[in-house]
Amino acid sequence: MNSQKILSVIWRGFPNTLTLLIWSFIFATILGLALTWLDLRKNRFARGIATVYLNLVRGTPPLLMLLMAYYGLPVLLKAIGIDIDHWTRMTFGVLGLTLGWSGYLSEAFRSAYLSVDRGQIEAARSVGMPDRTTFWQIIIPQAAMIALPNIENLVVGLVKATSLVYVIGLYDLYNQASNLSNQTAGLHQLQIFVLLALTYWLLVLVIEALFRLIRRRYRQMI
Amino acid sequence: MLLEVKDLQKQFNGHQVLDGVDLQIHQGEVLVIIGPSGSGKTTLLRNLNFLEHADSGTMHFADQTIDLGKPSKQQVQWVRRHTAMVFQNYNLFKNKTAQQNIAEGLIYGHGVDAKTANQKAAQALKNLGLYDRRHYFPTQLSGGQQQRIGIARATVLKPEVVLFDEPTSALDPELVGTVLKDMQRLAENGQTMVVVTHQMWFARNVASRVAFFADGQIQEIGKPADIFDHPQKQRTKQFLNALADNY
Repeated sequence: MNSQKILSVIWRGFPNTLTLLIWSFIFATILGLALTWLDLRKNRFARGIATVYLNLVRGTPPLLMLLMAYYGLPVLLKAIGIDIDHWTRMTFGVLGLTLGWSGYLSEAFRSAYLSVDRGQIEAARSVGMPDRTTFWQIIIPQAAMIALPNIENLVVGLVKATSLVYVIGLYDLYNQASNLSNQTAGLHQLQIFVLLALTYWLLVLVIEALFRLIRRRYRQMI
Repeated sequence: MLLEVKDLQKQFNGHQVLDGVDLQIHQGEVLVIIGPSGSGKTTLLRNLNFLEHADSGTMHFADQTIDLGKPSKQQVQWVRRHTAMVFQNYNLFKNKTAQQNIAEGLIYGHGVDAKTANQKAAQALKNLGLYDRRHYFPTQLSGGQQQRIGIARATVLKPEVVLFDEPTSALDPELVGTVLKDMQRLAENGQTMVVVTHQMWFARNVASRVAFFADGQIQEIGKPADIFDHPQKQRTKQFLNALADNY
């Protein structure tokens, strides 16, 4: 079997991998920001919710998150009368990855927010800038730049974690390759997995290049 | 009198940092506060525009009387709109260009429209001879340039009082002169200024009055020549002698 044939089979999983990556990142970012907001509240109850969630997520393997989302959540929700059996595997895949990465991203956001120099806030107050404006004009843009290297690492980690969706039967890059390997009784196994590794590597290189562009554009800011 | 503070008290963790400070600032004067490090000079300045909140005390500012222990949000905002601060570490907004740094306070703090604010900011940069740096971010500017822009950011707001917190102490010695010249020019134009500094040349030559601050209180206040040449208090003499020994 030639490499072109193998790649054409593997790449059939690419749309699923990309969909998982993009939607998981978007939802994890939204949930991560909400968790950071809770975590930085003075209210102990709000902080408590964030702390429990973050500890649970940090202490649980991403594979288990996917399994719990796929097998556990429908049962749990059915108990309170919500039926999600018709949800697609992709939805559960995105949900499982979102649960995990929202926690990791939240930590990156929180540390970046706390790293913004307090002098910046004082300067904003001293020119009469209201706190809300200070937050959106000064703190958030600077925190985003501080968080960028961590976010990049987490996105690269997320690319690799998309391969875990094979446990819920979703055909991504890895599952396509694994399936092909099984179909050929392991005859071209090494060739298939080397080509799969190169595919992931290429995807990571593209992501790194994107982040490099953003960093270069805003490098003077921090 | 423009601004008066009475019996200002401030504690940090049980340590009395400001111990009943009484201070009067007159329109158009340059009041320079000198004193040993850690004596509370910066804290005093930060209490004047509520970057720190005093435990108690009273402020009379223009026609307002403010209980410093319990100022309302409106009073805090009002004082901040009528004062401006220049920081030791410049504190220019890192994500804004030189021009934006000057314009932002006008736009978001004083409700000036963006076009007018940017015109004023550009003019301020021209006056400083830094117009060609208007699109530079703070990291692309020298310490001296940053501090001069910090002063422009404060003065473009036309505040009643500008508070300077050791504006030259983070600068290379060769850059100190340009910043002091900008401050001297402001003083000559009648800007009311309160300056915490260790630059004795500035205190002696530019100040209208000099206050010697130690142990959380103003120990002595008067004309520069009186404080430097004829100090009355033993604590002031000690401080000035220590300075003289160092040079």
